[in-house]
Amino acid sequence: FTDVNLNSRNTYEVSRRRSAPEHLPHGGTAPAAPAPPQEPAERARRAGIAGAGSSFAEFFTRNFFTKRTKELKPAVQSAPGWKLFGKVPPRENLPKDSKIIQQEYEARTGRMYKPPPLSARRKNIEFEPLSTTALILEDRPANLPAKSVEEALRHRQEYDEMVAEAKKREIKEAHKRKKIMRERFKQEENIASAMVIWANEILPNWEGMRATRRVRELWWQGLPPSVRGKVWSLAVGNELNITPELYEIFLSRAKERWKSFSETSSENDIEDAVASVADREASLELIKLDISRTFPSLYIFQKGGPYHDLLHSVLGAYTCYRPDVGYVQGMSFIAAVLILNLEEADAFIAFANLLNKPCQLAFFRVDHSMMLKYFAAFEVFFEENLPKLFLHFKSYSLTPDIYLIDWIFTLYSKSLPLDLACRVWDVFCRDGEEFLFRTGLGILRLYEDILLQMDFIHIAQFLTKLPEDITSEKLFSCIAAIQMQNSNKKWAQVFASLMKDNKEGDKNHSPALKS
Amino acid sequence: MAQKAMPGTSLEGIHPTYMYKVVLLGSTSVGKSSLAYRYVKNDFKESLPTVGCSFFTQMVTLEVAAVKFEIWDTAGQEKYHSVCHLYYRGAHAALLVYDITNKETLNRAKLWLRELEKEFLPDEIVIALVGNKMDLAAEREVTTEEGEEFARTKGLLFMETSAKSNHQVNDIFMAIAQELIQREQEKASTSSPRGRSTVDLGESRVRTRCC
Repeated sequence: FTDVNLNSRNTYEVSRRRSAPEHLPHGGTAPAAPAPPQEPAERARRAGIAGAGSSFAEFFTRNFFTKRTKELKPAVQSAPGWKLFGKVPPRENLPKDSKIIQQEYEARTGRMYKPPPLSARRKNIEFEPLSTTALILEDRPANLPAKSVEEALRHRQEYDEMVAEAKKREIKEAHKRKKIMRERFKQEENIASAMVIWANEILPNWEGMRATRRVRELWWQGLPPSVRGKVWSLAVGNELNITPELYEIFLSRAKERWKSFSETSSENDIEDAVASVADREASLELIKLDISRTFPSLYIFQKGGPYHDLLHSVLGAYTCYRPDVGYVQGMSFIAAVLILNLEEADAFIAFANLLNKPCQLAFFRVDHSMMLKYFAAFEVFFEENLPKLFLHFKSYSLTPDIYLIDWIFTLYSKSLPLDLACRVWDVFCRDGEEFLFRTGLGILRLYEDILLQMDFIHIAQFLTKLPEDITSEKLFSCIAAIQMQNSNKKWAQVFASLMKDNKEGDKNHSPALKS
Repeated sequence: MAQKAMPGTSLEGIHPTYMYKVVLLGSTSVGKSSLAYRYVKNDFKESLPTVGCSFFTQMVTLEVAAVKFEIWDTAGQEKYHSVCHLYYRGAHAALLVYDITNKETLNRAKLWLRELEKEFLPDEIVIALVGNKMDLAAEREVTTEEGEEFARTKGLLFMETSAKSNHQVNDIFMAIAQELIQREQEKASTSSPRGRSTVDLGESRVRTRCC
């Protein structure tokens, strides 16, 4: 899965929700067409601000180039840019402009057009170095002595070498680009076929198929963005039996509370005031503050952004629904990822059920002794899988809480690139909490060599701010190499025995707290 | 246990290098991460909410020693309180940060102080009270005098800062470094009468361990 595809899903979602209603009907299925690669922020911004405008542009480009596409496939995407380059008309031939206009007109109307000169030009752009021509081989200005023959020859030679070198580089880059395009194309095909399988075969027979080997393997590859939300919902389940109506009830309760907070506060009697102060942190200002600090680079959750209110609503409704847990920093990231993949009420239902899982509940209630159990179980598998690194960490008394708290609280959505985090979520939905810890070990394995060279503070710094260029393939091959098996005991058993130990051995501190 | 600074080799070869753990504590969004970011990167950007803890390092060269700060920037939300002792354990210095436009955050800083007092002896840790967001002085809820007075009665370093407009951020860390070094020297002169004995109060307190 590439960024492109995942991003395209997100952007697609944004534009879908923001665009005119007539776009909605075909919104149910996924965008199978490849989207041009773009930075997520830029895409999001484009979608957020330009909205319908961008789809118009797309429409226009498509119409404009349909005829050419057949013969000049690779040229399609860069076509507008190419035209810009191709034109650059020397001053003397003004008539060319009108010729071009005519060409454009012909292309648009679909009547005759001539590919040969176009493809020749296209080739030039790809293989000819763009910057050196006409700069070097000038004769010296008239007021200076002319070059000697040898000098001129030497310059010619040097120039030729430079051009050859540049050409080589450009050809290499062109090959690389082509290869990337091919891979991308293949991936898109894979996604498209996986999408069909998920939508037509698996989802209709969910309960029967979810545990089959074939589905599990397909699942590991990552979910196609179009079915991702649906599969997450199904996998997380709805043990709490929350209905969209219930969500509306809690949402309106939250809204009432916000209103009364902003209106009163001083009139209340003292007891109320004390309670409200305690509440305030949980429900009001903090949520507001954090929303705009959630995925700021996407520009969609900030005030005025398309999803700002949505995120506010889901988090607000949750604090009314579960006052015992309340709002805890880190939650906004989880809710945001769900909102990017699900409709509002479904996002809330998945959010509430997800946070109701034992591991998430332990962390979001900041139940320290339970958290230590999870860390201890993690360390069992850490030692098993990466003994050298485990000892290295031990020698610095570097305990898992240093890095795991952030990872587990936000389910990696804050620490990994968003598309990669989504893929971790995919398998987390398949395998449960154990996969969160397995992912952690996968990260440690991926960077084991670097980490072995570092001291305490640098490891801590590194793990709380992972490199941004971390790729899905590398991480998942490292995760795959992690065995969640400790002398025939699986995660759940190891965890259960740790729980039992503690009950028996009173406060027998786990390895995580030995120091 | 407190000053377990580790003298190591310094670039100059003469001055000792001390490593100190500094922990930032305070309510959520008072600017802990921003202070650390300003101090280390000399820049300001909107920080993401800190979950757990994040880490920074910074070197300071003083006249008599080099200081390497390990900065532990903790999560501010009260809910994280129960894990916070993981972070301040073994700290050599603490910055109690509050927001001058929010009185409640000063109260929270006072609670933090109470907790640190339970955990550390007074000479084990250098504590600074830091009123941040000076750039919003127009919306001030806590006067300079109030912060100053509290710091004085408790024997804390005190400064008002702005991570956003880069006001006194470097200064507060510098003050902490100096205080730590001074304590180091005092300790050395009382506990280990090595070198040129204790007569010369001026220079002999400096531990000139090389390599």
